[in-house]
Amino acid sequence: MANLGILSRFVGDAHIKVVNVDTEMSFAEVAEACKVHSVGLHVPNQPGKTLRVRRTTDDDSAQHFPATMKVKDANLRHLDCLDVYFV
Amino acid sequence: MALLDRSEWYGLARETNWTPRYVAENELFPADLSDPYGLPMKAWEAFDEPYKVSYREYVKVQREKDANAYSVKAALSRSKFYDSADEGYLSLLKLHYGAVSLTEYQACQAQGRMSRFSKAPGMRNTSTFGMMDEMRHTQLQLFFPHELVTRDRQFDWAHEATHTKNWAVLGGRHCMDDIMMTRDAITTSIMLSFAFETGLTNLQMVGLAADSEAIGDFTFSNMITSIQSDEARHAQLGTPSIEILIKNGKKAEAQKALDISFWRVWRLFAILTGIPMDYYIPLEKRHMSFKEFMHEWVIKQFVRQLNDIGLEKPWYWDMFLDDIENHHHCQQGGIWSWRPTVWWNPPGAVGPKEREWLEKKYPGWNDSYGRYWDVIIGNLLDGHEEKTHPNCIPVICNMCQIPVSNRPGPKWKARVYQLDYKEKRYNFCTPVCKWIFEQEPERYKDFETIVDRMYSGVIDPPTLPNVLTYMGIGVVSNGGRDGYDYSWINGYRKQAAE
Repeated sequence: MANLGILSRFVGDAHIKVVNVDTEMSFAEVAEACKVHSVGLHVPNQPGKTLRVRRTTDDDSAQHFPATMKVKDANLRHLDCLDVYFV
Repeated sequence: MALLDRSEWYGLARETNWTPRYVAENELFPADLSDPYGLPMKAWEAFDEPYKVSYREYVKVQREKDANAYSVKAALSRSKFYDSADEGYLSLLKLHYGAVSLTEYQACQAQGRMSRFSKAPGMRNTSTFGMMDEMRHTQLQLFFPHELVTRDRQFDWAHEATHTKNWAVLGGRHCMDDIMMTRDAITTSIMLSFAFETGLTNLQMVGLAADSEAIGDFTFSNMITSIQSDEARHAQLGTPSIEILIKNGKKAEAQKALDISFWRVWRLFAILTGIPMDYYIPLEKRHMSFKEFMHEWVIKQFVRQLNDIGLEKPWYWDMFLDDIENHHHCQQGGIWSWRPTVWWNPPGAVGPKEREWLEKKYPGWNDSYGRYWDVIIGNLLDGHEEKTHPNCIPVICNMCQIPVSNRPGPKWKARVYQLDYKEKRYNFCTPVCKWIFEQEPERYKDFETIVDRMYSGVIDPPTLPNVLTYMGIGVVSNGGRDGYDYSWINGYRKQAAE
């Protein structure tokens, strides 16, 4: 178990935010951790929709991480940037 | 004895190059401080600046300017203006003084380097006057706000800001250290005098003086006008340098110096000028938007100057034009949201009428930045002020030291541009800031942003109160709050009631 600072690129938010996550967290929990810092603060909620997380890439085409996958299994580095988006 | 006419001696008095006998020329003028471009001494002797002034004339004129400025300052202590001044306007003043006062002192040192190390006698002469100009500007901009410290401690940032590690100050210092404190005489003349002073600030001061006069602050207006009249002279130092470099086959080098410095200064300038023009100045006092100002006063004139001198527009010109419509709006949102981290009281100032104005000046504002503010306004209307304070931090650009931000809402464009260099991760707000880093990574690689410091152990523990103290908040003065105590949302309450 370790803390990791990741960059949250939350859809619709103006700012890229630093969010601390735990390596034991699932990506569903990562999505919730990022949501806390954007939805209801700088981004409106989208009730009924699900949040997904993927690596940020130049063309926004990365496959999303499975919701149950653990952070420790994703080979993330300090300050890697993640897209968090509604589907 | 009758004095000679100036034209009879002035040219001769500026030809002060000599052949050193006790040291080699490269010891007298080391390349890294004087001329890394390797031009012969003769080439620099062609340097000819348009504003010619003798020391006698300089002292006479400056004395008159000072007498005028200080007489207005004397009236300030009796004035009631600041007791009832608009809080948004006071924020403009606090931001200005904190960002500018001791930067002028840095500029004094930069002018000093040009006056000592330039191989061009004309530059040495003019920058000597420039050095005295900048010292005068420092003194004026420390003395004037000092009068206001007893009324509001946040004005103490005029003197203290540069000595703190506030994130906004780090941004200013990183840029100024880069363009004017650590460059050779010639590059400094391009970066400071041409890109910064000629390109952006000289004309901005004209607009700022007009704005403060319209608001009724004749003290500030008078001071800025006094300063601007000096800037107009010593800002001319860069043009002859560029002309000489181009003539001697160094156009690419001059262009690169311009491209780096113009962007670096622009990123700060938009915050220092754009936010106050479009958000802090009361709506009824705004005479033009920041975008209109940039197109009318900066772009038109600057492009003409580039054409005249033989340089091209910076390679990122399209991105710059887009940034004029975006950067300061994003940072207004960010600075307001993280208001406890700054030394002024940023007003949200996006009531219904202000939004109408913003939409007119920046078509599409409501559908982007407006969506961001809608969430904030909703929280305030629901009585949840606490939900307007983020519990995290934005990532900071490793070049401009400004939060990485871009358009919110459906037109969402936020993106970080990353680079791994020597096993370290660097984050940039734009391709341009990343490009600047890539030009000379060894120059920039060791500087840590506030975010880097939170993870490297410099700020330990990296808790919010500790971070604020590290940045001087609660030390020099309290941090910021909403400048209007949220009164700007009353318009929405009224709309809801109707």
